[in-house]
Amino acid sequence: MNARSFYLDLMENREKLYRFLSSIYQKEVDRALLTQMKAMTFPSEAEAPSLTEGYRMLKDYLDQIDERKARIPEDEVTDLAADYAKIFLAAGISQGSAAFPYESVYTSPERIIMQDAWETVRKLYESVGLIKNVETSGLFEDHIALELEFMAFLCEESHRDPDCSDWLIKQREFLRDHLLNWVPSFTADVNQYADTAFYKGIAKITEGFLRFDKEILAGISAPFDEERIENQNEVGETAFSLNPENMDQILQELKKEYRIFAPKRYEKRGAKSSSDLIRYGEINSVQEIVHESQSDFSPKEIYYPITQTMIRFQENQSIEEPSADSRGVLIFARPCDINGIKRLDNIFLENGGHGDIYYERLRDKVRFIMMECGGGWDDCFCVSMGTNKTEDYSMAIRFDQKNLLVSVKDQAFDPYFSGEKSNEFTDENTKVTPENVDFTPQFVTSNKKKVRLPKIQNRQQLKKASDLEFWKEFDEQCIGCGGCSAVCGTCSCFDTVDIIYDETSSDGERRRVWSSCMLDTYTMTAGGSRFRKTPGANMRFKTLHKVYDYNLRFGDEEHMCVGCGRCDRRCPKEISFFDIICRLSEELEYRNRKVER
Amino acid sequence: MKNIMMPEPHEILSVLKETQAEYTFRVACDSKPLHGQFFMLSIPKIGEAPISVSGKGPGYVEFTIRKVGRLTEGVFGLKAGDTMFMRGPYGNAFPVEQFENKNLLVITGGTGLAPVRTLINHFYDHPEICKSVYLISGFKDVDAVLFTDDIRRFKDKFHMTATLDNTAAPGFETGLVTEHIKKIPFPSFDDFNVVVVGPPVMMHFAARELIANGVDESKIWVSFERKMSCAVGKCGHCKINETYVCLEGPVFNYVKAKELLD
Ligand SMILES: Cc1cc2nc3c(=O)[nH]c(=O)nc-3n(C[C@H](O)[C@H](O)[C@H](O)COP(=O)(O)OP(=O)(O)OC[C@H]3O[C@@H](n4cnc5c(N)ncnc54)[C@H](O)[C@@H]3O)c2cc1C
Ligand code: SF4
Ligand code: SF4
Ligand code: FES
Repeated sequence: MNARSFYLDLMENREKLYRFLSSIYQKEVDRALLTQMKAMTFPSEAEAPSLTEGYRMLKDYLDQIDERKARIPEDEVTDLAADYAKIFLAAGISQGSAAFPYESVYTSPERIIMQDAWETVRKLYESVGLIKNVETSGLFEDHIALELEFMAFLCEESHRDPDCSDWLIKQREFLRDHLLNWVPSFTADVNQYADTAFYKGIAKITEGFLRFDKEILAGISAPFDEERIENQNEVGETAFSLNPENMDQILQELKKEYRIFAPKRYEKRGAKSSSDLIRYGEINSVQEIVHESQSDFSPKEIYYPITQTMIRFQENQSIEEPSADSRGVLIFARPCDINGIKRLDNIFLENGGHGDIYYERLRDKVRFIMMECGGGWDDCFCVSMGTNKTEDYSMAIRFDQKNLLVSVKDQAFDPYFSGEKSNEFTDENTKVTPENVDFTPQFVTSNKKKVRLPKIQNRQQLKKASDLEFWKEFDEQCIGCGGCSAVCGTCSCFDTVDIIYDETSSDGERRRVWSSCMLDTYTMTAGGSRFRKTPGANMRFKTLHKVYDYNLRFGDEEHMCVGCGRCDRRCPKEISFFDIICRLSEELEYRNRKVER
Repeated sequence: MKNIMMPEPHEILSVLKETQAEYTFRVACDSKPLHGQFFMLSIPKIGEAPISVSGKGPGYVEFTIRKVGRLTEGVFGLKAGDTMFMRGPYGNAFPVEQFENKNLLVITGGTGLAPVRTLINHFYDHPEICKSVYLISGFKDVDAVLFTDDIRRFKDKFHMTATLDNTAAPGFETGLVTEHIKKIPFPSFDDFNVVVVGPPVMMHFAARELIANGVDESKIWVSFERKMSCAVGKCGHCKINETYVCLEGPVFNYVKAKELLD
């Protein structure tokens, strides 16, 4: 049997077992199901001990129905129905204790239904397009029957689409985060409250199967993946040479699953009315990509929008704003910007020990096409900041004289280049025929500008850095417009703003909007008092955050500033952040030398 | 994944007018905040603000809110039965265990009494776990006095000084809280802690006065207020140096607090 048919069989069998178990928990067993079960053969030696035991108990139970021919099956059905009601609905038990078949009950401290777990699984179902039919089931989404059925659905999808490992990943995650998180305690309760060997057996089978399935899932991969891994081992990263038309065809294909962003030219929209603005936008063609100069804005606005609705309020309810687009996001970006997103990740996903859902759900979709950077720009200093290199990209691209060189690192993108995903181009002339080439992306190793970072080793030196006279110069120079933060790929601060649709209703929404520590309102509290009162104080705060505080907090040799130089080009007062870092370092060195003498 | 920005509706159980500008709201809530923690309260269409827990009991928490701006004004329009949106509790808490079986001095300015009220009540209810409690609470004038009933109660069990900035009234002393610090018999304490909560200037001068009276910096605890838009370490507004007040604060030991440079 080849890998593919083995995989298909496995998915099918698993789907069947999940559906079977689901049907048992959904309602009382009826005669039809019982008769059907009697016809089934159960393995006498299963892969896991509790599975074997469960099958044996169930088999014994079903067998004895035959042995005692005198008893009509109706009795069995009634017995089982009574047991079902007792175990799962607490019928007839005075203390009301039972094995309530809801994840919420087992995962919420109060042990009640419709808690966090219910919310989460509901969203999960919705995310794959499943809407529960309430009328037919009458059960909440985190009922064991529906969770098992969801697994069956995922198996079915894996079977239908064996080339896609997403369904497999979803199964692993759902089993780990949901079913196995509570079902073992639940089946222990079933075992305790059940009178019949039937339900005791089912409990054993459920638990044994879920645990065993976890191991199965850990050991398999989608057959397509395997083939590709083999390929990968042979040739490593595959690289192609394409002409722009070929690449555009690939983009068209990619656009079915991804929104594709790149730096684009917006004519006469620049800071000076005659200049153009280079900013990220969705593209249809590689011809639109501006690669011969830097972009004025960072790609941050794609995964961290300038303004973003978080919550809608309706009557007395707060509702989470759903994501606008389910497609992935592909971004053409240089190494400095790819490094920049790691800073945002730290703030939005790590800081405080909890992730921000709005950031995470967009961020998860982001894949990068790294634009090889020729460097040589006037304002940047990525080498000094250690952000000239990155490994975090799916593809890399070089804009050669006429052709494009693309190196594909993430195998998920191989089919787009190997022709597999471009079958629809029937016209022979336009058929994608990328040529295999040798291309390894290169990184910048030296910039025109080099910066020494300030050496601050303790609180006294920090105090000294804060007290430097030169910050006061910015009281005059800086107008606190916040433009520097807007273009920066790592500035992450925001304000929250509530919006009303109409004066008379209580409906509205809460948004978050980019903010900047350079704005004079940034630290302002009620009554207008401010903790930092001057542009100079703001500049000190920003500078230390960018080249000292962040690093102190998160470590890893990385700084909040990635040295892209955008803020220098943006500033209407021609303040250079590069110069400020240099000045700070010099002033501190000078002062420290004075102390030593 | 939990949505950390999502407020949940809670029912307001009662509203108590403390002063013209300060009301106490009792809100149905099952969470058990620690002493010194805060919630983000919000009203749809107006906004969100951090407010300390000023009281707690089975099934409810209380907030004492001063009307100063848009949100707080909106909250003042709410009455029992209405809905308050909130998320939390957030922030760290006063290290209560560290305060137990020692002497405790609490100095508050104005609404600063709110965030320490549950702490004081803790020792009020359990006098056996505290050697002595001294309390200096300052208010602008008699109209600004909060928690009148509590102050009366506290006087029975604690060494309570209630003082008005520069006016006189029965039951109150006159003068800023700093002026009453020298009356505290520090030498008679074997081990003690001082909690100072109030406006930034008041905390600064109170700490200076305490140090002048021989109090070691490490025995002083303060609670910071900073602009906050998220309370979960994302918006950046509350950051001082590498410290996020919403995460590592609002309560700080003075050794740390004095080196935070806004
Ligand atoms: C940890 C903490 C605990 C607090 N506890 C209390 C309390 O128990 N009782 C009380 O009356 N007040 C308390 N405050 C202050 C209270 O948050 C502000 O008075 C309130 O935010 C003012 O909001 P507003 O919309 O009415 O004012 P506006 O001036 O309209 O404010 C607009 C926005 O600015 C922000 N803001 C304004 N002032 C402050 C401030 N002082 N601190 C933080 N953010 C601010 C808020 O995000 C607010 O939504 C506390 C503040 C903090 C940081
Ligand atoms: S601070 Fe300036 S140079 Fe540094 S990352 Fe931000 S925009 Fe680029
Ligand atoms: S440094 Fe320049 S861009 Fe930044 S706030 Fe000041 S004036 Fe605006
Ligand atoms: S309040 Fe937003 S980071 Fe602290």
